[in-house]
Amino acid sequence: MKQVTDRPESSSEARFAAGAGPVPAGTQANNGRTTGPGTAPAATGAATTKPSVDTPPVFEIEKLTVRYGGKLAVHDVSFDITEKRITALIGASGCGKSTFIRSLNRMNDLIPSATVEGSVRYHGQNLYASEVDAVQVRKRIGMVFQKPNPFPKSIYDNIAFGPRVLGMDGNMDEMVERALRRGALWDEVKDRLKTNAFGMSGGQQQRLCIARALATDPDVLLMDEPASALDPISTGHIEDLMFELKERYSIVIVTHNMQQAARVSDMTAFFTVVVDEASGHRHGEVVEYDETEKVFTNPSDERTEAYVTGRVG
Amino acid sequence: MPVEARLHFRQELQALEEQALEGLDMVVAALERTLEAVLHQDIELASYVIADDDRIDGRYLEVRQGILSLMARQAPVASDLRLIAALLDLTRNVERMGDQCVNIAKLVPLVGREPPVEEGILARIDRMMRQAISQTAQCKQAFSRRDVQLAEDLVRQDDEIDRLNREIFSLALQSGDDRDAREWGATMMLVARSIERVGDNAVDIGEQTAFVVTGLFREFTDASHPEIESSVVH
Repeated sequence: MKQVTDRPESSSEARFAAGAGPVPAGTQANNGRTTGPGTAPAATGAATTKPSVDTPPVFEIEKLTVRYGGKLAVHDVSFDITEKRITALIGASGCGKSTFIRSLNRMNDLIPSATVEGSVRYHGQNLYASEVDAVQVRKRIGMVFQKPNPFPKSIYDNIAFGPRVLGMDGNMDEMVERALRRGALWDEVKDRLKTNAFGMSGGQQQRLCIARALATDPDVLLMDEPASALDPISTGHIEDLMFELKERYSIVIVTHNMQQAARVSDMTAFFTVVVDEASGHRHGEVVEYDETEKVFTNPSDERTEAYVTGRVG
Repeated sequence: MPVEARLHFRQELQALEEQALEGLDMVVAALERTLEAVLHQDIELASYVIADDDRIDGRYLEVRQGILSLMARQAPVASDLRLIAALLDLTRNVERMGDQCVNIAKLVPLVGREPPVEEGILARIDRMMRQAISQTAQCKQAFSRRDVQLAEDLVRQDDEIDRLNREIFSLALQSGDDRDAREWGATMMLVARSIERVGDNAVDIGEQTAFVVTGLFREFTDASHPEIESSVVH
């Protein structure tokens, strides 16, 4: 197993070095975060498997523990997320999958009481190293949420927002068209780019949010329940889009819809809720991480079996 | 603590398994009648076996439809999915076992009311069929109890059927010059062949038992690679 270190990245050309773009106030607050072997609890037999994969990891997660206000939210998560694959995170409410996915692009930084231990390496670089700029992280690691959240602006301005804020070079019309094409939305909206995004259907708004995330040229797309508010046809469009996107992007998706996880993902991580008997406090852990086909035909852990078959609710 | 969920689905799946396994009881009854018909050259009983196979075919169609319905409505996964896949295979084997009874029963009237019986062959047909009946009951028990050892034991049991089959073949070759005796001997070879297939169907159901339990499908014996059999079967 690889050694976990709290040594900051030595490279001065760190991908996310601050200064590469404007940094909104607030995102630099460092929340008393700690990293390193001294603070990461010893592995307690969290049964994660490391399946053989043929592409390199985009994320290497080692002993990741997240706390809110000192209370455990996610405990001791270690696994690699494979490049240009769709990785599904499944598990009951409160199992920490949303907390986990938010730790992949430092969204937890926005919660003042959140602390992160262990390490998340993105293409080998520690995401939580001190010189890493969270805004740059989120440029490369985009996120789409459960409820479509377009800005109250035109379709065009929604897409152009990120590139403008980040001062990206290039022809803006081309960037907007490219993002809308990758979001499978161009043909539907090319004649009304200046109309308000709120006039779109829910499914279109969600694809707009995906296109907006793609506009800053990321290589990872994090999706937290991206289709749970959508009808089956719009859900199908999103899933089709995910298949197209995985040629170019690594995708991590949180979903409560197990059939969706089974349909779209290559790899599945199952999170479970662990209840501390003394305090009654609940936190999440990863029980099993494996190829989706394995998880849904012959899971290794009884708890995964009980969850995917719906035997426990 | 976790609460039991999807109770309705569980009950449906359980009922479907019982329905499929009852097909093996029907096969046992058909095999017993078929044996009686062969031993006593009972043409009426043989025609009853043929007609009654419609019930086994009907059961096969019911189970198949039930499986399709559960797959469409309940999207089973993990051990539920393995059970359903195994039941689909099991019920097809049941249907094939019923068909072997029909194949044998159709041969009964062809040799006439008073054929020149060779007792050595008939005694072996008797033993062979009783062995097939026993294996059919055993595969049902192994499947319903998820008993992999009992399922693997079917291979050892099936060796007896294969041995009797070869003996019947060689006895039939020695039927002499009488045309009727040779015809009867050749017919018993066909009967033995059908019984031998029933034994193989029981072994197949044993393999499905192991699949349900372990999640890994492997053939207990591999006819095209007999040299590795001993390493596969414990």
